[in-house]
Amino acid sequence: MGWALRRVGISVLLVWAVASIVFVAIRLVPGDPAELLLSQGGMAPDPAAVEQLREQLGLDLPASEQYGRQMLGLLRGDLGRSIQDDSPVLDSIARRLPRTLELIGAAAVLALAVGLPAGVGAAIRQGGLLDRIGSALSGLALAVPVFVVGTLLVLVFAQWLRWVPAGGYVPLARDPAGHLVLLAMPAVTIALGLGAVVFRMARAAVLDVSARDYVRTARAKGLAPRRVLVHHVVRNALGPVVTVVALHLGSLLGGTVLVEYVFNWPGLSGLLVDAVSARDYPMVSGIILVISVLFVALNLLVDLLYAVLDPRVQHG
Amino acid sequence: MTRRLWLPAGAVALLALIVLLTPLLGLPDPVRMDVPGRLAGPGPDHVLGQDEYGRDVLSRLAWGGRVSLTVAAGSAAIALVVGTTLGLLGGYLRGVVELVTVRLMDVVLCFPPLLLALLVVTLLGPGAGTLILVLSVLYVPGFARVAYGGVLSVRAQDYVEAMRALGAGRTRIMLRTILPNVAGPLLVQLSLAAASAVVLESGLSFLGLGVVPPAPSWGLMIRGARATMAQSPLLLLWPCLALTLTILALNALCDALRDALDPYPAPPRARRHLLDMLAPGLLPPRSDAVLDVRGLTVEIDTPAGPIQPVREVSLHVAPRETLAIVGESGSGKSLTGLAVMGLLPAAARVAAGSAVFLGRDLLRLDEAALRRVRGAELAMIFQDPMSSLNPVHRAGRQVAEAVLAHQQVSAAASEARALELFEQVGIPDPASRARSFPHELSGGMRQRVMIAMAMANGPRLIIADEPTTALDVTIQAQVLDLLAGLQRERGLALVFITHSLAVVAEIAGRVAVMYAGQVVEEGPVERVFAHPLHPYTAALLASAPTGGGTPPRGIPGVVPLPHALPPGCAFAPRCAHRIDACEAAPPPLLQAAPDQAPRCIRWAEL
Repeated sequence: MGWALRRVGISVLLVWAVASIVFVAIRLVPGDPAELLLSQGGMAPDPAAVEQLREQLGLDLPASEQYGRQMLGLLRGDLGRSIQDDSPVLDSIARRLPRTLELIGAAAVLALAVGLPAGVGAAIRQGGLLDRIGSALSGLALAVPVFVVGTLLVLVFAQWLRWVPAGGYVPLARDPAGHLVLLAMPAVTIALGLGAVVFRMARAAVLDVSARDYVRTARAKGLAPRRVLVHHVVRNALGPVVTVVALHLGSLLGGTVLVEYVFNWPGLSGLLVDAVSARDYPMVSGIILVISVLFVALNLLVDLLYAVLDPRVQHG
Repeated sequence: MTRRLWLPAGAVALLALIVLLTPLLGLPDPVRMDVPGRLAGPGPDHVLGQDEYGRDVLSRLAWGGRVSLTVAAGSAAIALVVGTTLGLLGGYLRGVVELVTVRLMDVVLCFPPLLLALLVVTLLGPGAGTLILVLSVLYVPGFARVAYGGVLSVRAQDYVEAMRALGAGRTRIMLRTILPNVAGPLLVQLSLAAASAVVLESGLSFLGLGVVPPAPSWGLMIRGARATMAQSPLLLLWPCLALTLTILALNALCDALRDALDPYPAPPRARRHLLDMLAPGLLPPRSDAVLDVRGLTVEIDTPAGPIQPVREVSLHVAPRETLAIVGESGSGKSLTGLAVMGLLPAAARVAAGSAVFLGRDLLRLDEAALRRVRGAELAMIFQDPMSSLNPVHRAGRQVAEAVLAHQQVSAAASEARALELFEQVGIPDPASRARSFPHELSGGMRQRVMIAMAMANGPRLIIADEPTTALDVTIQAQVLDLLAGLQRERGLALVFITHSLAVVAEIAGRVAVMYAGQVVEEGPVERVFAHPLHPYTAALLASAPTGGGTPPRGIPGVVPLPHALPPGCAFAPRCAHRIDACEAAPPPLLQAAPDQAPRCIRWAEL
């Protein structure tokens, strides 16, 4: 239990470090954010307007006070207000985040459903047909950038075959079937790369575990091959696979940008890109913070899950 | 191996050459628009046609590749220099430097990469310069980690200490000794970073946050072609193809580098030769033996050709008998035991021989039939009980599993049986030990769990492969007593594989001495120990520490390697009594007495 508490403590520290880095990074940029925001089209901004914006953003305060306010705000769950429309940043994030999580979740389910059994199968018959096909396909899937996959899927299935719309979003409550149809292509796009990672990891982990002494012991007991595979090989191979998949899910939190853009999926990443283009600092820092928190929380979850899968961890 | 490196390396070199020579190729201006010629197909002036603004596609592909690869190479190179320097400094100087250079990097790894890139682009605005900066920041931690890890493993080694003792400066030590040692992994990291940089650059450009138009870039080309993909899909396909092939080449280079640098290449795959399996033992089995092994030969395929670590081994064990197989590491004694169990590692296979156990030849049983024997009438105990027990299952469950594998009982009954077995092998407080994980037990307890597992289905024969080697001396004695006691009470036969003559004397009735894959002498323990007939047995006995005052004598020379066996007697090069005839032909086992057989042509004279 002490071990778990320590891990939680470290995670909280990491989130604090990320928040501080984002705070510093924005202030490290040469030039005044308020001035940058107002100087569009190469025109010198009106000094009065700049001053007003600085005040509105709290930039006229000493850095230490700005920092203190921001951290206090974070503790209260206040991420500030968007520069674009003065709406609370947290509201926008709360609206967009579930859509991104849904996309990642659907992709993860697809990737695991295909990659895990294929990887285990490839390892059982190393050098066999499934192994060779799977290895070649996963190599290809890892080499094609996700926005290329997405764009080509749109070209084939939306433009040529006209099976599905090119992209968009309808809420599940309004049109469940339409929602799933629109979810399918972006989810498949992400699942392709993720599935390749799962395949490779599962294959490598099963091969590694198969050579362990305790698998030999299990066979020496006279256990049926299926039982050796499920209870001894796969059970021990799950740890590394879970870790790698979760880390990839974490990087997907920020990495769905491209897929959301290609398929017009109004998730968190799209909000981020818009905020970046508009130089909406509170929005950008808020989104990055939320994603980092999720990322850190995911890592924490993996560590705790790993401890369940492998009883040695808590003692190490 | 090098051949596999040439293809991807050549492909990457070709790409580099194309983008370096782009200005000299005489292609049309990649940014010159030609609105009347927009979306025109291939023609003499425009080999791949024109894009949505009438710009030449081939030219834009080449110039776009130039941008992509410049960004990739630039950021990877900067990250290499900065990251390696930080890692070297952190690993070599330790202290505060270590904290700053290495630990701070972990925070960078906390950001999803694309997110960090977006943050920097927000702050600095898009452009190739920003891209190189942000990508190099992303890859610095990777290089720093590789260099740091390399330094930590190298700095403690003797030659670095030696250079320091010789008065070499720190910089010199780092550059001359440590850097070459981490060069391989750094090279892998470099190709990894370059591939990833190409992906991220094109992705950011695709979003309109990377390379600034009208400069050409593959990401921008895909972005532009999306609008017109229905009319001219080729416009979309060309940059997709270029991008994919580039990443494929870089990934392949990365994999090939990693394989080439791997010090432990995967062993070649073992094939089962049907013919070998069909050749039966020539002689009828001894009727009284529990296990009768005849002419067992084990073969392993190596890159240098097949080797035979076990050659024509014949053994037999009577009911209630303990046979010890004794020999040095690499004598083939463990492989003999594993071959009988049908548990040889993947690279090894039985090339010849038979192993008749209770009337059935184990080497010719199919896997399903063999499984019904394994763990039931024939059980095995392994050397290292820590690695041989599954770390994620409780001890009691692992024993109950052995019961369930062979008996039609309920799960609860198997658990109860496991507790009985724990009690029989002398585990105190069985109920609580059964709920423990292997890492929570002591070494002696773990080996008792292994023994309980072997006893689970009332075996007729147990093969124990160095069961006491990994244990403390006092625990060794307890485990030996336990095995000897169980054997007496249950009347089971025991094959005890060991390198310790003291253990042989304590537990065994008969002994088979193995050397270089062969049995060189076999007989009752008292007689073989008192009157060894083979020079190797005699030398082995003389090399063992004794209670008396005589210091042990070592055996000169080393065991021959399995792929460089001498033509005659395998022990001849180390034997003080060898004659020419010894080196001419391999000697057979000679029946010196009704129950003692040495593999030495001079046993009578010696």
